[in-house]
Amino acid sequence: MFSKNPLRKRQYIGSLTGISIGILIYILLPLKQSETYLSLGPLNTGHEGLSCSSCHTDAKGNLWQQLQSNMAYTFGMRKTMTDFGTENVDNKKCLDCHNRPNDRHPTHRFLEPRFKEAVTNINATQCETCHREHNGTRVVLKTANFCMNCHYDLEVKNDPIDVPHEKLVAQKQWSTCLQCHDFHGNHIYKVATVMKDTIPLQKIQNYLQGGTDPFSSEKSHNPLSEKEWLALKQKYIPSK
Amino acid sequence: MKNQKNIFPFVLFISCLSLTLTNCGGVPEESSMSSPSDKIFKVEDVLTMIAEENDVTRTLYTKGIVGAGKKQGLKFDEDWQDEDVEAGPLPALFLRGISSDIRKSPVPLGLYLGSDFPINASNKFTGKQAELFKKIKETQKPQHFYEEDQKLYTSMFADLAVAAPCVNCHNDHKNTTKTDWKLGDVMGATTWQYPSDSLSIKETINVIQAYRNGTKAIYNAYLAEISKFKIDSTKPEIGQKWPSEGFFLPTAEVFIDSVRKLTSYHTLELLLSKKGSEIASN
Repeated sequence: MFSKNPLRKRQYIGSLTGISIGILIYILLPLKQSETYLSLGPLNTGHEGLSCSSCHTDAKGNLWQQLQSNMAYTFGMRKTMTDFGTENVDNKKCLDCHNRPNDRHPTHRFLEPRFKEAVTNINATQCETCHREHNGTRVVLKTANFCMNCHYDLEVKNDPIDVPHEKLVAQKQWSTCLQCHDFHGNHIYKVATVMKDTIPLQKIQNYLQGGTDPFSSEKSHNPLSEKEWLALKQKYIPSK
Repeated sequence: MKNQKNIFPFVLFISCLSLTLTNCGGVPEESSMSSPSDKIFKVEDVLTMIAEENDVTRTLYTKGIVGAGKKQGLKFDEDWQDEDVEAGPLPALFLRGISSDIRKSPVPLGLYLGSDFPINASNKFTGKQAELFKKIKETQKPQHFYEEDQKLYTSMFADLAVAAPCVNCHNDHKNTTKTDWKLGDVMGATTWQYPSDSLSIKETINVIQAYRNGTKAIYNAYLAEISKFKIDSTKPEIGQKWPSEGFFLPTAEVFIDSVRKLTSYHTLELLLSKKGSEIASN
């Protein structure tokens, strides 16, 4: 075959190499060991060791069907697009494991019209605004002063702390909020009544960046582990 | 002729591609999508109906559980879910519990409670809600509007002081911003939101179901909290009886059943009312 045209040999080797690389990628990339290389960055605190598929669940249908659906959408033949490959990771995904009935600031509260302005400053309707994944941290915001967006006119009757909230607000000491108050309200701890007993700001910042939890090791509700989540999913979600 | 020969593989490729990409069906679209002709209920009618269910539910909870329960020694607190607090949810937090549970369902219904004199400053109305609440206080009539930025149909309904516990608790609360509430006052308003201007019968029933499931969820959360009380003598007997009969609390089923009995007739009447059929005939 190659004696007729030596160029054929080069084409043949090229094709074989291409196909082999393709097969290797197809086999190796889905392996658990490859996940570190595929990840956009280190997983956030508490998520270490989770599989990609915990959040990036398979989208409905196979790739071909998804392609068909989105082509149909492009040409106006269907009303909605469909996820391609994996499903979009949204609040619902986060709440599958982090569903807490005692959440002091659940994302849905900020959908109310009166938070409209605050949401333009910080979109608290989405978990990922603060907890964007693949950053190896807890909170991606650079400063811990986000409380000011809603509590700028805070008045506390029977103020329990030695430096009144009114004064802290007037002095715009917004980073002091987290020194007493856990944003989601899930930690079990006693709130300080004297400013000097509050959690030092450095410790709070360290915590937000993924460090030790300064509030308490006790929590009212613990998130589901991957194993628990999978068990629940199999129990309640019908197989596709 | 040569050109025709060159174009043939290209035409064949495009034809095959379009056939394979369009035939055999893709991922099915959500079955909840209704055609415009199925949308027989106006959003404001559905929100009015569900707001009326909410009024009945909250009145029953406030009078039958909180009011009567307090007389039996049961406690209700805004920090009812804290580890060191042994209490049940106050009516405002009962509503917030319902709202949170609705959000966990696939039904895109929003429910919020606010006031001009709230106990918790974060529940104070601002902007358009504050403006409309002034009207509600004067007329007690619902206010319906389209929230342009959020693209949501929004309705606000008066939240009245329907029972003595509403007035007493708010007047006596250590953080209250108003101490002269009286029965019948408009103490606040509920705000409801939905993303489309009309609903099908299925979507309407889903809204009712999501609300009722929310009621059940928050009531069950209260019962679960009671089971964690440290001293047995502070735990009321949970069964068929109500606090008006002694140190009892109804089970979630008994409570929901009472809500159903009080609301279902009116809700069904509204569903079958002329309004729906008039829209359907259009």
